[in-house]
Amino acid sequence: MLKDITLGQYYPGDSVIHRMDPRFKIIATLLYIVALFIMVNFTSYIFTVTFLVVVVALSKVPLKFILRGMKPIFIILILTFLLNLFLTRGGDNLFSIGFLSITTQGLRSAVFLATRLILLITASSILTYTTKPIMLTDGIESLLKPFKVIGVPAHELAMMMSIALRFIPTLMEETDRIMKAQMARGADFETGNLITRARGLVPILIPLFIGSLRRADELAMAMEARCYQGGEGRTRLHSLKYSYLDLIGAIAIAALLAVLIVQRFWFA
Amino acid sequence: MSIRVEHLTHIYNKGLTYETKALDDVSFEIEEGAFAGIIGHTGSGKSTLIQHFNGILKPESGRIWVGGTEITEKGIKMTEIRKRVGLVFQYPEYQLFEETVAKDIAFGPMKMGLSEEEIDKRVRDAMELVMLDYDVYAERSPFELSGGQKRRVAIAGVLAMKPSVLILDEPTAGLDPKAHHEILDMLEKLHELDGCTVILVSHNMEDMAEIADTIIVMDHGKVVLQGTPREVYGQRELLTDIGLEAPAAMQFTKILEEKGISLQESVMTMDETAEAILRLLRK
Repeated sequence: MLKDITLGQYYPGDSVIHRMDPRFKIIATLLYIVALFIMVNFTSYIFTVTFLVVVVALSKVPLKFILRGMKPIFIILILTFLLNLFLTRGGDNLFSIGFLSITTQGLRSAVFLATRLILLITASSILTYTTKPIMLTDGIESLLKPFKVIGVPAHELAMMMSIALRFIPTLMEETDRIMKAQMARGADFETGNLITRARGLVPILIPLFIGSLRRADELAMAMEARCYQGGEGRTRLHSLKYSYLDLIGAIAIAALLAVLIVQRFWFA
Repeated sequence: MSIRVEHLTHIYNKGLTYETKALDDVSFEIEEGAFAGIIGHTGSGKSTLIQHFNGILKPESGRIWVGGTEITEKGIKMTEIRKRVGLVFQYPEYQLFEETVAKDIAFGPMKMGLSEEEIDKRVRDAMELVMLDYDVYAERSPFELSGGQKRRVAIAGVLAMKPSVLILDEPTAGLDPKAHHEILDMLEKLHELDGCTVILVSHNMEDMAEIADTIIVMDHGKVVLQGTPREVYGQRELLTDIGLEAPAAMQFTKILEEKGISLQESVMTMDETAEAILRLLRK
């Protein structure tokens, strides 16, 4: 049931991508997303797709896992594809029924946009698949630190994120357990119209909310009992260090960006 | 109703690197009207196993019969099975959601489509069984009760469905000794009165020795032993191997034997031991 959602999960492994510094991975992902928006022609697409294929292969995350993560956005993907396909005007007319027609321009922009979306999602999921949530928040905290001078609460933001991430599996498990328990009492979540189904969620949501409040309370107490009082003067067990892997990665992403910029401004 | 399981296998996260075989070729039978205990370590597959009995989990392979019905067959309505097989999960108090105790207990019977008078009667009966005074607690919010009381409300919610098979997963976990015994006494009473089949999952060997008439021991997803408490606890070495301890009373008699005092009868519970020692002293 709920276990099918793989988007944003961590996939345990020890590949070169897994071993890279989270700070570098976050920046690299952001740069890659920028790259997706500066590409203009077919050659650029070949470069960005190849780049990501290599990264996915290096990360050793099974393709099946990545495709499963794609499932929730599948409908959006199809919709964008179809809208672009039918509504873009320009170029030669390829095919038409009634008021609907497909033009070369439409086909081109539909394929490009869909590819761009797929790349966008795959790239950001590779980040979470290969980085432990804790490392990710450590990375974010470290990257946000310079902004402290203008009042960005870097540590608090990172702490909030790690707590939220920490409780996702717990909440999923809890939801699963409560659902099963109510099913055992005769609740049915799979049949009925929208309203009966929505009302059927009450026996799940109420225990879930109460559980979350209870848990938040306990967590706050446990943290205070261990003298937590914010980020001031806190040291960490695992400090982040860049390695030669990050250097190689940095060169690769810089090269990709360089190629795309050249393509955009000289060949487009 | 009896429960029969043949070659049951269940795999979590199938196809992923972290797939685990929670149940591995499990076969056994629990007779109608039995008070069965399932013991085993955390992660031995107990909870996974019982969730198959009312179709909440589907097996990877194998067959399950509840009464005469094979529930692993296609086209079986699970909601029908769930009316007859009541399952009380671990920490069931976390499933309470209604405004009042009575409404929460009525959830199951209501879903069964019973008449209002019947529902009311069942709520009253169930509350009496779990020893909660209807006049005092029926209209109170379940969230203002104590932990032990909440647990009883949750159990009453399943009892109100009048299942022919009642399965409880660690129903006494986290309760104080008094509440612990009250729950076990209630189960015994229920078993005697209604004659329903009760399946109790626990790792408390003392409880099992006292209450169960047949015990299934699980380890790493397999059934390693099945028999009467006396037969099962006789296999002391095997139990130690899988990290379970014989009841304290049996360990005590073993120490006595090592010191050269033999009780000359096999005892399992504290009461039996006390009597055996008394008899020995009187001789």
